[in-house]
Order: sequence, then C-alpha cells, then structure tokens
Amino acid sequence: MSPFFFYLFAAILIFASLCVVMARNPLYNVLALVVAIFSLSCLFVVLEAFFVGMILLLVYAGAVLVFFLFVVMCLNLNAVALKETQQTRFRWLGAMVGLMFLCLIFLAAKSFIKAQTMEASSVRGTIETIGRILFTDYLLPFELTSLLLLIAIFGIVSLAQGALSTGKDIKNS
Amino acid sequence: MITIGSYLALSGMIFSIGLVGVMTSRNVLKVLLSLELLLAASNLSFVAFSKFNGDYAGQLIVFFVILVAAAEVAIGLAIIVLMYRRLSTIQADELRTMKW
Repeated sequence: MSPFFFYLFAAILIFASLCVVMARNPLYNVLALVVAIFSLSCLFVVLEAFFVGMILLLVYAGAVLVFFLFVVMCLNLNAVALKETQQTRFRWLGAMVGLMFLCLIFLAAKSFIKAQTMEASSVRGTIETIGRILFTDYLLPFELTSLLLLIAIFGIVSLAQGALSTGKDIKNS
Repeated sequence: MITIGSYLALSGMIFSIGLVGVMTSRNVLKVLLSLELLLAASNLSFVAFSKFNGDYAGQLIVFFVILVAAAEVAIGLAIIVLMYRRLSTIQADELRTMKW
C-alpha cells in the first residue's frame, strides 16, 4: 500500500464531495459526484478490492450517474426554479450538526489508530475469489437481489404509466 | 503509515459532508446525490474493514449495496420526474400532501 496514492485520491474525493454539496448548478453536482465515485474506486484498487472497484466504476459512474445526468437535462430547470431551491435558513445548523458528527467519527476512528494492531492482510478481492464466495455462501442474497431489481422495474413502469394516464387527463380537460 | 484509522477518518469526512448536504439542501436532486455520498462513505469503510480484518464479507456487502443503490436511484429519479411534471418544481418543501 502506498501512502501517496491514498492521500492523492483522498484529497480528490473530499474536494469532489464538497463540490457535490456546494455547487449551485445541478449539472456540476452530478459531474462532481462522477469524479468522487472515480476516486473512490481508485481507493478500492489501492485497498486491493479490484472487483468491487470496477463494479463501482461501471455501475455507478457508468450507469447510475449518466441516468442522473439524463434526468437533469430532461427536467430542463430554469434559473427561477433553481433560485427557489437555494437554502439559506438552516445552513449553519446543518453545518454545525455535520461538524459534531465529524468529531464523533474521529473519536471512534482514533481508537483504531491507537490500537495499531490492524495490519493489512493479504485479502485480494479479485473476480475469482469474490465470485467463488458469491456463488456459494451468498447465493441466496444474490438471487434475492435479482428479485429486488425486478420489483424496481415494476415500480418504475407503474409510475411511468401513472404519469402517462394523468397526461391524458390533462389533455382531455 | 496508512492504517484503518485513516480510511475510517476519510469515510467519516465524506459521510458528514453528505449528511450536511442531505439536511441543508431543498433541491430534491441534490438530496438524492448527497444520499449517494453517504452510501459511498459507508462502502469505503466496509472495504477498509474487509482489507484490515482479512474477511471478504465486507466486499460482498459493498457489491449488494451498489445493486440496491442502483434500484433506489432509478425509483427516486422516476419520482422526481413525476414531481416535476405535477408541481413544476423540485423543491422538497412543496411536497406537503401524502396523496395528490
């Protein structure tokens, strides 16, 4: 494990996730999240979790975030609608709660730093090892996930049908 | 030296940034993006624990989290598109009724 790559990708990850929260334009939010997911998958590769890192890159940056981008462009938000969504009231409260949560996390992580017993093991998450475990010990959750995806497809189709029928109603009235 | 503590601290930072985003933004799209940040932070800590404990279960959980998040994003974006069609805004404050 090389510290240089950890610090490089950690810096990119923190900067990109700050951009996700701070940027005003929704397009920039989504693109910053693409950068964040990319550096996260690089961190996974540094941790030798190759399969999960590649899946994250393919499924998240490749499919989910492109879907996000598609919806942002499809909504065609104008400047007035965006200005309405700018938050001013609870920003300081939210920042304070976030800082408090950060302190709690650091207190928890500090005990792990002090322990120093956790050395890097020889776990290498290649496709072979992960696939072997996935299709033996975790076969039932894997199949249940396919059922979940099927239910998600049904949900989206029923939502889209509702949208189509209401559109017809508006046209009729 | 990079120990598990540094990964956990990084994961905690990303999680708090996402938490602030979820709490302070009224834009529904931005809330969904910040939720993705929360999931990414927990994924990072899972993989770090998997590496430092020598157990593959953490990486498998990350795999399932990615799949479930894909389904969640698809449903959430469909709801956002419907909301924009009905209310012509994506402000979370405008969602006041349970049934419209």
